[in-house]
Amino acid sequence: MTDLPRDPSMNRREFFRRATKAGLSITAAASLSLWLYDPRGPVAPAETDEVLVLLPDFSIPGLSSRMSIVTGEDRVKSVGVALKSLGGIEAFIGKGDRVLIKVNAAFALPALLGATTHPQLLGEVVRLCLQAGAASVTVTDNPINDPESCFTLTGIRQAAESAGGKLILPRESLFRPTTPSGARLIRNWPLLYAPFQGVNKLIGIAPVKDHHRSGASMTMKNWYGLLGGRRNIFHQDIHNLIKELAMMVKPTLVILDGTTTMMTNGPTGGSLSDLKQTNMMIVGTDQVAVDAFGAGLLGKTVAQLPFLLKAQEAGLGTTDYETLHPVRTATG
Amino acid sequence: MKTSPSILETSIGLVILLVLSTIAIGVFMKQSRYDASIYQPELQVQERLNPSSAATASASKLDAYLPENMMVLTAPENFGPDNLSDKINGKAELYLSAGFARLRSQRFVDRTNPESWMEVFVYDMGSPQNAFAVYSMQKRPDAEKLDFTPFAYRTENALFFVQGSEYVEIVGAANTEALVGNMLGFARGFVGDQSIAGETLNILQLFPAENLDETSISLLASDVFGFERFNNVFIARYRMGEMEMTAFLSLRDTSQEAEELAAAYYRFLGENGATDVPTTIAIPGVKLLQVFDTYELIFHNGNHLAGVHEAESREGAEELALILQRKLLEIGK
Repeated sequence: MTDLPRDPSMNRREFFRRATKAGLSITAAASLSLWLYDPRGPVAPAETDEVLVLLPDFSIPGLSSRMSIVTGEDRVKSVGVALKSLGGIEAFIGKGDRVLIKVNAAFALPALLGATTHPQLLGEVVRLCLQAGAASVTVTDNPINDPESCFTLTGIRQAAESAGGKLILPRESLFRPTTPSGARLIRNWPLLYAPFQGVNKLIGIAPVKDHHRSGASMTMKNWYGLLGGRRNIFHQDIHNLIKELAMMVKPTLVILDGTTTMMTNGPTGGSLSDLKQTNMMIVGTDQVAVDAFGAGLLGKTVAQLPFLLKAQEAGLGTTDYETLHPVRTATG
Repeated sequence: MKTSPSILETSIGLVILLVLSTIAIGVFMKQSRYDASIYQPELQVQERLNPSSAATASASKLDAYLPENMMVLTAPENFGPDNLSDKINGKAELYLSAGFARLRSQRFVDRTNPESWMEVFVYDMGSPQNAFAVYSMQKRPDAEKLDFTPFAYRTENALFFVQGSEYVEIVGAANTEALVGNMLGFARGFVGDQSIAGETLNILQLFPAENLDETSISLLASDVFGFERFNNVFIARYRMGEMEMTAFLSLRDTSQEAEELAAAYYRFLGENGATDVPTTIAIPGVKLLQVFDTYELIFHNGNHLAGVHEAESREGAEELALILQRKLLEIGK
């Protein structure tokens, strides 16, 4: 190995001089970056002038967690019995209430495939709310597929309107950015907000389904349909996303339809052989507890669905639904 | 000899360093708050705002296979890897991980009965192997086998089959025989179109027919048997006497890759508590291990990685391995 020729101009003084210059250069660059730094972060172009919105708490103050489990083949009868065992729909919906029902209309598939909220169940809930004196009942969702096709082909449009409800289809202008308190994933994200304006009660109605990414799609996952934008990126962290959906939405009531359960090939299914007749209707105020019961319908344990434990750890409900002393009944 | 740079050179150097440092710090700050909802390709934004125009831009020709008593209900739709989840949401990952290229779909309805409609999904999976993978991963047990392609079945309301590189689902909105008849008519027309026939899947012929449960043949795309590196593995159930076990086969690019993967799987099993069991069967490099009450056997033959999974007895695993090896040798001749 040969030594490199020594630079005659380099001595201790020269070294310090050059080191100081380099240090000053780096300091200047860092200072310039700091000056250019935008502490608010990037903002969506359409949302530049918009204020972040938050959903209000729709749960009934002072009402302890309640849950009802009804066994029966007829979902219309089952939901009636379930609500009656919790004190009747009047315990949740009063005169003059303005009710929003969030259905699962994700796919433009027929009701018999169990991939969406069943129209008969929806129609009955709309009817009961109006019977209890609700001033209005609105039905909405931001489906995966084309909204017009979804609401029509699932039978949800016809069921909602014939029962006296009003349907709101999503469109760009109905969304506002939201960052729920404590959320790490849902930040400055478009939320289907307009249908909530003026509403004071919220009911979620969802079927029990297998889900390729999360293991299950039930009442908590149902709130995914309130998000807009390229929400599919959330599938990379689906369990935390579902937890944050439950942080974002505090419903008055959730209804989990386990009359049939999509056991495999969810969330779309496609074949009647993906379904199992499980004859259960679960109604409750604690969405974590309701979904924990639903896990059993899918043949899964709470531990196999991490979003349930994450939601419980976040104080959003309990997976030990028996502590709520659920009322168990059967339709005749 | 000049030993120190000129003032100009020094100045240029400093400016370059300054610019690079600024860029680096700026990139670092911005990437830490990446928001995919904001930074999206322009094409995707257009598709989101006007999906129908994007869909019709590359219209499918699925209506060419319609029976006479059916007509178009909705416009054709097309989806690529970037927006497949807009159609099938959480199930998109299953297709994407198996090599999905494109989905064409369209709804058709009976001319005389508006309740009797069907939706056709044609997934272009890029290769017959990929198409078979998504077919087998979703296969409904106890379904009725159909004969118009080697891999086809029906349930009460739907048909599922592989044709060349395409996996096809035809989902009916009702479970009537009339609608299923229309679906079968469509499927036969689709399969009869030689322009889309494509290549067929040959690797399944490597599974010896004796004692094979034909309906059990599947292709597992990734993370097979819990081993991260194990992908594209065909499996099939065998009943050897009173015992059941699974044979597996995977065609690798080179013999070296097959050998190296076999060795890696062997190490993986060992790291997870499997113990070596001596074997004298005449297969070069064969490894036999015991995992709790079952046996795993691994070997390779040319480009093929093969073995037996969860055999209930050592003798059964060895017997099936020898049959597999004979078949591989026959094919290799």
